[in-house]
Amino acid sequence: MRRIILASLAVAVAVGLALVPLAPAQQAAPPPWKQGQPPSMADSTLAPVAQPPAPTPAGEIPVDKIKVPPGFKASLWAHGINNARVMTWGDKGTLFVSSRVAGNVYAVLDKGSEREVKTIAKGLNLPNGIAFKDGTLYIAEVSRITKMVGIEDKLDNPPTMEVVYDTLPRDLPHGWKYLAFGPDGKLYFNIGAPCNICIPPDTHANISRVNPDGTGFEYVARGVRNSVGFDWHPQTKLLFFTTHARDWMGDDSPSDRLDTAPRKGLNFGFPYCHQGDLLDPEFGKGRTCADYVQPLLKTGPHVAGNGVQFYTGAMFPAEYQNRMFLAQRGSWNRTQKSGYRVMMVTLGSGPVVSKYEVFAEGWLQGDKIWGRPVYTQQMKDGSLLVADDYAGAIYRITYQK
Amino acid sequence: MIGRLRIAVLFAVSLTIVLGTDAGAADVEAGRKKAAPCAACHGPDGNATIPGTPSLAGQPVYFTHWQLIKFRDGRRKDPQMSPFAQNLSDTDMADLAAYYEAQQPRPRPPASTDPAKVATGKQLADLHHCSSCHRPGFTGQQQAARLAGQDSDYLLKLLRGFKAKTASDLDGTMTVAAQPLSDEDIQSLVQYLATLGP
Repeated sequence: MRRIILASLAVAVAVGLALVPLAPAQQAAPPPWKQGQPPSMADSTLAPVAQPPAPTPAGEIPVDKIKVPPGFKASLWAHGINNARVMTWGDKGTLFVSSRVAGNVYAVLDKGSEREVKTIAKGLNLPNGIAFKDGTLYIAEVSRITKMVGIEDKLDNPPTMEVVYDTLPRDLPHGWKYLAFGPDGKLYFNIGAPCNICIPPDTHANISRVNPDGTGFEYVARGVRNSVGFDWHPQTKLLFFTTHARDWMGDDSPSDRLDTAPRKGLNFGFPYCHQGDLLDPEFGKGRTCADYVQPLLKTGPHVAGNGVQFYTGAMFPAEYQNRMFLAQRGSWNRTQKSGYRVMMVTLGSGPVVSKYEVFAEGWLQGDKIWGRPVYTQQMKDGSLLVADDYAGAIYRITYQK
Repeated sequence: MIGRLRIAVLFAVSLTIVLGTDAGAADVEAGRKKAAPCAACHGPDGNATIPGTPSLAGQPVYFTHWQLIKFRDGRRKDPQMSPFAQNLSDTDMADLAAYYEAQQPRPRPPASTDPAKVATGKQLADLHHCSSCHRPGFTGQQQAARLAGQDSDYLLKLLRGFKAKTASDLDGTMTVAAQPLSDEDIQSLVQYLATLGP
C-alpha cells in the first residue's frame, strides 16, 4: 500500500513537472515554510501549526491523556509558561525555561505543591537556547549568545545580558538555536539552513562550538539542516543529535534522523542526500549518498525531533540507565500527523540502536493536537520533566515499582 | 488515481486547518467592555477612521493577541500602544482579541486610487505569494493579519518597516517577504489591498 502511494506520488510529481509551465523568471520566493514545494503540490493547504499566543489554562490541559508505560505516571508540574521550550537547572535549584516566538526566558521555582514562574527576560529574538554553568545563564538568540552572571541570586532584578558572541548570521528561518555545554566545557549550538531546501551559505547548516568567553569558534558537524537538540553519552562522551529533514517531498520521506558525531568535520549530507540514502530531487544530481555520514537512526518522516537526553537518574528501572529520550514536537507537512510524542532509544554496545520505542504519547488524539512535547529535563530525584510549547506547560513523569 | 489522491490530501488538510484554529476560553462581552479605551483611535467596533491607525474588526484572534504581547514586551513599539499594553493581562488580551475578531469589518477606501497601481499591486500579490499566509481574499488567518480593506497609510508604514527590518514580525516571514520589494512595489501592493472589500 505504502509502495503504491509512493509510486503514485512519484507519478504525480513527474506529471506535475511535465505539465506545469516553468514559473516566470521574476517569480519571487515563497514564504520560508513553502519554499521547495514542487508544482505538483501547489494545491496543498498543509501549513505550519500556528503557535497559540497564550498558554492553555491548567484546568483545560488533559494530562490524563498522556500515555506512559506501566508503573509510570504523568502529571502536570507547571503551567502558564507561554511557549515553554528548553529547560536547564541552575545550581541552586531554579529551573530556567526558554521560549521561541514568545521571546521570553523564565525562572521556575519549585514551591513543593506548586510552582512559581518569573519572567527574567522578554522581547528577545527567538531565545530558544539556554545553558547554565558556574552560576551563569547563557542565552542563545538568533545572532548572538549572551550571559547573565549570578542570575539565581537576582531573579527579581536580573543582571544585564553581557555579550559572549554576537557575530552569528541574522537569518530568521531556522535561526533559533539549541545551546548546551559539551564535556569539553565548550558551548555547542546549531546554525540552521536558512531555507527548507537550498545550497546553504558555507556558514550555515552546521553544529558549531565556541569557548564560554566567546573565543575559538569552530564548526563541529556540517551538512546538518537544522539540529535543535543534542546531548553527550554519559560514559563515552560522544555527541548525539537530532535533525529535522526537509519538507515537501511527500508524506513518507525523507525521515528525520538521529546521529552521532565521533569527531569534528563530518558531513551529514544536507542538502544533497537525505536520511542517508535518498538523493535530493534537485540538489542531489551528480552526488552519491556514500559521501556522507549515514544516520544512526531514521526517526520517522516529519516527526520534528527536538530534545535529546540521556537518562542517568535513580528513579526509573535499572534498564533505563543511559537510554535516550527524544522529544518529537510533531509534523505539519504530512497529511496524517506524526510525532507528538516522546520516544526512547536503547543503544547496543557501541553507537548502534538496539531499540526505538514510544515512551510517552497522547498529545495527538486522532487528528487533533492539544500539546507538543519539545524538550525533556531530568529532575534530581530521577523523574523526567517534559516541556510542551503549545500548551505552555511542563509535565512530570515519575515511576513507582 | 492522481485526482483521488489529491482529493484525499485536500480533505485531510482542510480538517487540519479547521481543528488548528482552537482558541482558549476568551470572553467577547468582557472584551467589549475592555475595548472602551481603544475606541477613540480604533473605533467603537474596531473599524478605525484615523489615517495610519489600523482597523481591528475581523482580525484573527491570534493576530491581535500576538501584537498586544509584542507591544507589551517591547518587540513592537508605538507611542500610544506601548504604554497601553503594559497594563494588559493575558486574559485582557485574549478577551480583546476575541471581541475584535467578532466585529464586522468595513472598507476604508484610500483618499485616491490609481487603477494602474491597483492592477500592478494585484500582480505583485500573486508574484510574492501573499495569499499563501494571508489567505485568498486577504482575510487573514491565525497569526497572519487581515489585509483586505485595511488603512493604506498603516499598510505603507508597516511594509516599509518590514523592508527596513525595523518592524518586528513573529518568525521572520514578513521581513523575508518584504526584502525584494521596491518602494514603488510597496505603494502598488498597498493600493491593491486597501481597495479590496473586507
